[in-house]
Amino acid sequence: MNLRETLRYLGYRGHKPDEQTLSLIEECWRELEGAAVKKALYREFPLGFLDDGRLDMGCFKTKSQALSKNLADCGHVLLFAATLGIQADNLIRRYTRLKMSKAVVMQAAAAAMLEDYCDEINEELKQAYEKKGLYLRPRFSPGYGDFPLECQPEFLRGLEAGKRMGITLTDSLLMVPSKSVTAVIGVSSQKGDCRVKGCESCPQKECQYRRKAI
Amino acid sequence: MKLLDEIKRRKIFCDGGMGSLLQARGLKAGELPETWNLLRPEVLREIHEEYLMAGCDIVTTNTFGANRLKFPAGGEFDLKEIIKAAVNNARAAVNRAGHGWVALDMGPTGKLLKPLGDLDFDHAYELYREVVEAGCEAGADLILAETMSDGYEAKAAVLAARENSSLPVFATMIFDEKGKLLTGGDVESAVAMLEGLGVHGLGINCGLGPVQMKGIAAQILKIASVPVIVNPNAGLPRSEGGKTVYDIDEEQFGAVMEEIGDMGVHVLGGCCGTTPEHIRELVRRCREKVQTLPEEKNRTVVSSYTHAVVMDRDPVIIGERINPTGKSRFKQALKDHDLEYILQEGVTQQDHGAHILDVNVGLPGIDEPQMMEDTVKELQSVIDLPLQIDTSDLKAMERAMRIYNGKPLINSVNGKKESMEAVFPLVKRYGGVVVALTLDESGIPDTAQGRLDIAERIYNTAAQYGIKPKDILIDALCLTVSSDSKGALTTLKTLQGVKERFGGKTILGVSNISFGLPQREIINASFFTMALAQGLNAAIMNPNSEAMMRAYYSFRALADLDRQCGDYIDRYGKLPAEGVGLGSTAEKSSLPQAQGLSAQGAKGPAGGSLGVRTAMGLSDCIRRGLKERAQEEVKDLLKEREALDIINHEMIPALDYVGKGFEKGTLFLPQLLMSAEAAKAAFEVIKDRMAGTGESQKKKGTVILATVKGDIHDIGKNIVKVLLENYSYEVLDLGKDVLPEKIVREAVERHVPLVGLSALMTTTVPSMEETIIRLRQKAPWVKVMVGGAVLTEEYAKTIGADQYCKDAMASVNYAESVIVQKERADR
Repeated sequence: MNLRETLRYLGYRGHKPDEQTLSLIEECWRELEGAAVKKALYREFPLGFLDDGRLDMGCFKTKSQALSKNLADCGHVLLFAATLGIQADNLIRRYTRLKMSKAVVMQAAAAAMLEDYCDEINEELKQAYEKKGLYLRPRFSPGYGDFPLECQPEFLRGLEAGKRMGITLTDSLLMVPSKSVTAVIGVSSQKGDCRVKGCESCPQKECQYRRKAI
Repeated sequence: MKLLDEIKRRKIFCDGGMGSLLQARGLKAGELPETWNLLRPEVLREIHEEYLMAGCDIVTTNTFGANRLKFPAGGEFDLKEIIKAAVNNARAAVNRAGHGWVALDMGPTGKLLKPLGDLDFDHAYELYREVVEAGCEAGADLILAETMSDGYEAKAAVLAARENSSLPVFATMIFDEKGKLLTGGDVESAVAMLEGLGVHGLGINCGLGPVQMKGIAAQILKIASVPVIVNPNAGLPRSEGGKTVYDIDEEQFGAVMEEIGDMGVHVLGGCCGTTPEHIRELVRRCREKVQTLPEEKNRTVVSSYTHAVVMDRDPVIIGERINPTGKSRFKQALKDHDLEYILQEGVTQQDHGAHILDVNVGLPGIDEPQMMEDTVKELQSVIDLPLQIDTSDLKAMERAMRIYNGKPLINSVNGKKESMEAVFPLVKRYGGVVVALTLDESGIPDTAQGRLDIAERIYNTAAQYGIKPKDILIDALCLTVSSDSKGALTTLKTLQGVKERFGGKTILGVSNISFGLPQREIINASFFTMALAQGLNAAIMNPNSEAMMRAYYSFRALADLDRQCGDYIDRYGKLPAEGVGLGSTAEKSSLPQAQGLSAQGAKGPAGGSLGVRTAMGLSDCIRRGLKERAQEEVKDLLKEREALDIINHEMIPALDYVGKGFEKGTLFLPQLLMSAEAAKAAFEVIKDRMAGTGESQKKKGTVILATVKGDIHDIGKNIVKVLLENYSYEVLDLGKDVLPEKIVREAVERHVPLVGLSALMTTTVPSMEETIIRLRQKAPWVKVMVGGAVLTEEYAKTIGADQYCKDAMASVNYAESVIVQKERADR
């Protein structure tokens, strides 16, 4: 159980939870562990820097300064997707109807669980690539900073994420199951600075959920 | 020779993969394969022909993703033209090869249906209808709905195929290694629903290789009464040098497929990664095998979207509580469209052990079809039990059957000609098990013989509609024993007769028997045991009654239905001896099963158990979020004090205390909500009391809440709702993904002073802005508050909102300032 991150998503900002909340968090993690059907998928594509400033990711092209910076010395990218499955959504929806306090904790626990799961797969990939003398850049997701969400349909199609892991999009490009992540991971022959990842790379510095440096 | 004749004597072979063959011929990543039907017809014809030459019987058209969502009207390609070309290409190959059938291929829409995603069931149906019509017009021989990972979407596809064509329909689902659909359904639930909808063949495709599919195929074969289809991938994939390769070769593929054929699977083919070589090997091995159609399995099954309930020796409990008869609070809930109350009735019954929920929402003066549809949608979005649609309103029955996610139980048909003529066509169309009451034009026969004669007539008439005896549950009917002392015996004899004379399945509404008697549970429980001993398969009863559940658990232990009495011991093994007083209901006892959701609040550190109450006032209970304790406290207080006094001097101050703590950052969201829930539970007690005395609590005013069009994340909006209700606002919750027009219409019709809108993503803020603009035009008096992850004070201003609310307390404060203070000023 990742208590620290769950509390961060609940807006605790370093405060300690009371016992009742703590037991609710434990309960939610237990139920989620039982219900979630975790799946992850990745595929490597050659990376191209086009003259008009766009990035060519193999199955889609996009424009983002933040991402270009992140991928500066990369020759390839890994397109990555992970999900906790529709079962996590089902739990959240169920408690949204029956017990809101549990729904918000479930929501936070699921977010933390998904992030942990992504980290776990990411770490495996990192080690596998390092054996080949290649280095991975931090995960960077559509919607972070100026990386537009509009690439999501092609991104997911490139991974066959619909058929293989059940990730679909709504008309407004939200992913369903909601506890899903897509991300670009740069592959480079140069060692790079990997400290900044996910949350910290977002320009929304005032966000109340922002992770604090330890 | 027709396909459905041929399949009676030999294996039928499908083709294999399409995508990888097109890629090998130059289809680029991201290019829509269906466009090649028009752009490169010669390539498609060549592929189809290669498969036919390899020996396959069925070629599937290149229309997996051909639907209106991917090919919108006015786009570069016309959907109908694409489908027509696809069928023509397959037909040309069949003509050249001299054999084969053309299957119109339909894949998933690519979107998830509500409530999971944002696609309406009716919209999904329309998308498929369009494809079916175009495919039939072009001359397809059969329809194949495949790679379906959601049973609900499969229902839309199959229904569209069945209602708009007369072609054979095959449907195959994509299961994982555990035999689950991506949306959680199991094999049995999928088979029950598809057979109910009248498919001519069903099975599994994609996702797995033949090795992994064997177990699932075996499961399907065991229960399916129609031909079974298996179309696996070429094995499990892995990436090698940027290319996808599979863990087995053509030879191994063919060998495992032969084993699958020998298990009894009727239709064999391939999916991703398989080529004409795979099919050639498969056909070579299986061509000479003879086969017969599967036997009728005679299983009585209903299903929800996750699982099936089989009605056989082990009795099934159908919860009867979702029914307004004799319940004033329930009637009020129906009048108020209070789905939350109905949902709670469902959850409580599930917690107490119901296997199926009866749903009856008939009340004079309400729009029953609409209410039935809304209730079924709400229940099936939260509760995974199968539902029994209980209504005499045929419109309501059909609406519910259509949108039901599974194979429902229908309550009811009877021996009257008119009833059978109305209900049987619906059962045939949508699938379902139907409860058949043994009464007819001349009423309820006094004798078992008379009731059995009606049962026979019902079976026979059903057969004329193609409805099998397994899909009928005979209701032996029971009349109150206080008016007819032989009544119970007649019922029991009828139960026995249905088994002996027809080998049929039975159902009974058990509670009627005691009408007019004191301590009804005592009689009910004994009668229930007697009926079970006569082989009753399903009982409509109150699972919240512990006396009834004891009868159930004892019977199962005594009738060899509970191995080593495991379930009985699980339930009663931990109870202290004095906990088993007769007549106590589970709601009051401390049974583990009775402590579903509702017992949460009592387990807190300061709470202790219900039995050991320490001195703690109502306001303390609310501050600490102790739901059950708060209810107990308020009951005590109501003995001495007025409801309004309690609300104003105990509850509101406690809520204010918690709200202030939240604003200061000393209390956090889960605590705020637990307190709100405790307060709400206490309000419920007060509401019940007021309903008894005819008083009502005055609301401060109505607030409309909605998550805007395009956005399906509504958790924030729901938090706001909980708190506003606590503060005595009437909340009209329009839900999520709500059209601006709808919000404006409701705001105008009800002349509300305040509208709250939420949006999570930057992509949906524009529809928030649009809603505000329209509200300004049509309802200029309305104040608009907005909230959501991406919004800021400044952003809210630029889209024209009156107020940005950073959290739920901020919305309460704003509501107070807009509504309460205005009211004061007006006075």
